[in-house]
Amino acid sequence: MITLLGIRHHGPGSARSVRHALHLTQPDCLLVEGPPEADPLISFTADPAMTPPVALLIYRETQPTQAVFYPFAEFSPEWQALRYAKDAGIPVHFVDLPLRQWFALPTTDETPSSADPFAQIAAAAGYDDPERWWDHVVEQRRDVRDLFLAILELMVALRAEADAHAPPDSLTRAREAAMRTALRRAQREGFTNIAVVCGAWHAPALLDLDNAQADERLIVELSHRARPVSDVRAAWIPWTYDRLARHSGYGAGIDSPGWYEHLWNVEHDIVAHWMTRTAHVLRAEGLNLSPAHVIEATRLSEALAALRGRSLPDLGEIEEAIQAVFCGGNDTPLRLIRKRLIIGQKIGSVPPDAPAPPLQRDIEATLKRLRLTLYLNEPAVLEIDLRKPSGLERSRFLHRLALLGIAWGEAFTPPGAQGTFREIWRLTDWAPEFVVRIIEASRLGNTVEAAAAASAREQALRAGRLPDVIEILGVTLLADLPDALNDVLARVEALASTTGDIAQLMQALPGLIQTARYSNVRKSDVTIVRTLAVEILTRVCVGLPLACMALSDEAAKELFERLVAVHRHIPLLEDEAQTQTWRTTLARLADMPAHGLIQGLATRLLHDEGEGSGTAIRMNRALSPAVAPATAAVWLEGFLSGDALALIHNPHLWRILDDWLISLPEPAFVAQLPILRRAFQRFEPAARRQLGELARNGPIISMREAPMQIDDARAKRALALLRLIEQAEEASGGR
Amino acid sequence: MTNLLREHAEQAFAHELAELAAVDSRPRPPNWKLSPEAVVTYIMGGRLNNGFEITPKYIGNRRLIEVAVATLATDRALLLLGVPGTAKSWVSEHLAAAISGDSTLLVQGTAGMSEESLRYGWNYARLIAEGPSEQALVPSPIMIAMQTGRLARIEELTRIPADVQDTLISILSEKSLAIPELGREVQAIKGFNIIATANDRDKGVNEMSAALRRRFNTVVLPLPATLEDEVAIVRQRVEALGRALELPAEPPPLDEIRRIVTIFRELRSGQTIDGKTRLKAPGATLSAAEAISVITNGQALAAHFGNGRLSAEDVAAGLIGAVVKDPVHDTVAWKEYLEIVVKARDGWSDLYRACRELTD
Repeated sequence: MITLLGIRHHGPGSARSVRHALHLTQPDCLLVEGPPEADPLISFTADPAMTPPVALLIYRETQPTQAVFYPFAEFSPEWQALRYAKDAGIPVHFVDLPLRQWFALPTTDETPSSADPFAQIAAAAGYDDPERWWDHVVEQRRDVRDLFLAILELMVALRAEADAHAPPDSLTRAREAAMRTALRRAQREGFTNIAVVCGAWHAPALLDLDNAQADERLIVELSHRARPVSDVRAAWIPWTYDRLARHSGYGAGIDSPGWYEHLWNVEHDIVAHWMTRTAHVLRAEGLNLSPAHVIEATRLSEALAALRGRSLPDLGEIEEAIQAVFCGGNDTPLRLIRKRLIIGQKIGSVPPDAPAPPLQRDIEATLKRLRLTLYLNEPAVLEIDLRKPSGLERSRFLHRLALLGIAWGEAFTPPGAQGTFREIWRLTDWAPEFVVRIIEASRLGNTVEAAAAASAREQALRAGRLPDVIEILGVTLLADLPDALNDVLARVEALASTTGDIAQLMQALPGLIQTARYSNVRKSDVTIVRTLAVEILTRVCVGLPLACMALSDEAAKELFERLVAVHRHIPLLEDEAQTQTWRTTLARLADMPAHGLIQGLATRLLHDEGEGSGTAIRMNRALSPAVAPATAAVWLEGFLSGDALALIHNPHLWRILDDWLISLPEPAFVAQLPILRRAFQRFEPAARRQLGELARNGPIISMREAPMQIDDARAKRALALLRLIEQAEEASGGR
Repeated sequence: MTNLLREHAEQAFAHELAELAAVDSRPRPPNWKLSPEAVVTYIMGGRLNNGFEITPKYIGNRRLIEVAVATLATDRALLLLGVPGTAKSWVSEHLAAAISGDSTLLVQGTAGMSEESLRYGWNYARLIAEGPSEQALVPSPIMIAMQTGRLARIEELTRIPADVQDTLISILSEKSLAIPELGREVQAIKGFNIIATANDRDKGVNEMSAALRRRFNTVVLPLPATLEDEVAIVRQRVEALGRALELPAEPPPLDEIRRIVTIFRELRSGQTIDGKTRLKAPGATLSAAEAISVITNGQALAAHFGNGRLSAEDVAAGLIGAVVKDPVHDTVAWKEYLEIVVKARDGWSDLYRACRELTD
């Protein structure tokens, strides 16, 4: 005897009926629609550590992005069937076209037949949504006798019509042939009472088992067309209700897992229970809801159902009643209800000994040790204190995951917080893609540390530009991967010595100096990085003067930004010798015939460093009458760094410019006016007005120049306080 | 044609109600004239089994009306919320007409209202002459509804002072009204219920107490969802009003209605229908009800002073009057709209000219 149980995936009604039917028929063998490759994993369903929602992940070991998920919830008929078989101790197998054949098929082989049989019946019954129809006719039905016979009869009629209209595509034909073949095999093995749980649509195709040759031919033909792949693997992974919900876009999703779970768990007074749960959720959010509200909402939903000619209210009526009675007509709280209850926030778990790539086990073990959970329902923010060993370890772990391309956390440094002991991470909610990425990264190593190190090496080798490698170097340090560090550093050195592009070196330098400076916070050894930074700085100092010759305006502007950035980072090295080398280089830039913008900038940077003696001479030279007005203007622009504030607030600078202007004889002054005009026209009108006022009321400068009178007694008092503050900071563990 | 300026719903649609009652075989709650299904059909319109066509009274979401009718069927009071012009009173009148056959048991909420309007008052001449007696008692519409098992309507519930509103609590929970002067009470008979309307955005509302709010199921009536819905509402109402006022003009051209509705929707939402241009939104509500009055006003102008055909000149004055409520801010919004949108739009030059003449 063969019992065909046609179901709808993830339907609580179907699940209940399946369980009931299995208890009635007591089969000696059970076949369930699903990937045959996952057969060895079925035994885990009986494991107490296994709690749905979970999913079977079937993937190709060499190409993990080619993967399929088969999610199961507690109320999935397939899950109930598997559990029944395990409890009753009867053999159970997945039947379908093996995925090794399925994966081999080109994806755009044939569009699967998309006609939805239930849409047609639902429309005929006066429902606009087939799900609702099924809900009413099957899922909410409490009486399950003869249900499957009726479904089969209905499907036979529907299939006959649909197949006459358009024959099923080759994939569907092959899948059904594979199911029939499996049925025949079970018969041959001597089972006499076989039950098959499959999608209702396929049930009619399993009625006629006579033509074995045709089925075999079909499958062989498919294998000829596309050679089956040989590296298919299967694993159980945890799943979430949110992912089960249709909007997440994985296969046969459903709108309302939470509601279905409720239908599965609650036998009587479904609506009253649901309304009470809703009231609890809304009360926690501060809405005043009494039991009287619950009673009225239940009554209204039942009256609505009666008005619409239904025996029981469904979600539509329930939501409308909640809105009218609980929320005063407001629909915002409904969104919360939808998220918390209708979809639900349940997350499944998988026994630790179920097969999974070692890397995944290591990640799970690490998560547990660090008391983190990957399975978040909502994005979260994690604040890490790097002074604590556990904080440091968490940070390393997150950086390692990032190196593996598992985009779970995103480090976020608040502006100005660099080099502090705080690290803030934004964690995203869980996505099945993580699992795929983990499997993908499995080829790199069996532990997070090993895989991340391998990934860092690989990325460093692949990166062709120095700044990119420097970035990888930074992450490698953050992730604390000493093994990979040497290789990445070697790559940096190799690129730094071979690249002739000073701009690239300069671009890389700030990052490198920062890394050298701030990684100390993490107690990692960065002397090598420091050495490297100094080395690159030396290269820059040597090559820079040459690189500043014959620059186009565009290139000069780019170099200008880089120079400013490098200059800002030099003090972080805290190395007097290097600072001196840099100053010498700047002086060379200022005095050689480089591009005006660079020359001006170098003069200015030197001036700011306190090497002001040469500034007036350099300015006179750059702005001499012999120099073309356009070139002079560019120099002035570089000197002012596009910043009027410096002129306004730095009297010294102002005076140099002023002195130069005053020193000019009248004809030369008139000749210089256009240059000044050009250099100043970039400033904001307000700044220009301020400069004009400054020019008129010059004396401000001399006031600033007056020698400062220091009251020693008062200064001492302030100094004492400062010392106290410093001590307090040291005591609290400041750097 | 009747001589009445405005007929009650049960008068104007008496024929439809009679036809519905004749074919209605579903169970009716006690003292209901129609079954809940038939009430929904009456409001939303539809074709009966005998081919009789019921006109739609409310154009919008059927589910809202179903919630409203189901609420009344479960003996819960119904509160219709919405901004002005979302057909709250209209729906409430038709619900009362269809369920009780009588939409006249009406209390209009005002700020100066006292408890007597909700409970009962006295005929003071008799009170003084005879002392408290049945004859001296003047029952409120609510009391009459309780005694006869019909629906009472309260318009603008939130305008009523909060302490007076709370009189309703015992009426709604105990379903009885005590008359201590006579030492007796009125107990509501089956079929009694209250439909209240309130406008939650208007200024000067008296917030309902939580105790009272709990006794109402709330249905929010939204502004018309689409341009076509709104055009249908305006057209239907304008035609009905035109008939009632015996305006000799031809039925207003659909284009003109669509134009007015478009202007109203655009100004209301602060952007053009195509979403490309942002606009200043004037302070006026600009509901469908106001669009209706602009059109009927224009029709009257066309009939009496024009050639009988509704033209841009006829609607311009009413249009400006509807949009410009605040002479400073709204005028700016309107002029901007006129210059940016109306002037540039194809086929709208007649309207632009007519409005320019009046605006400057």
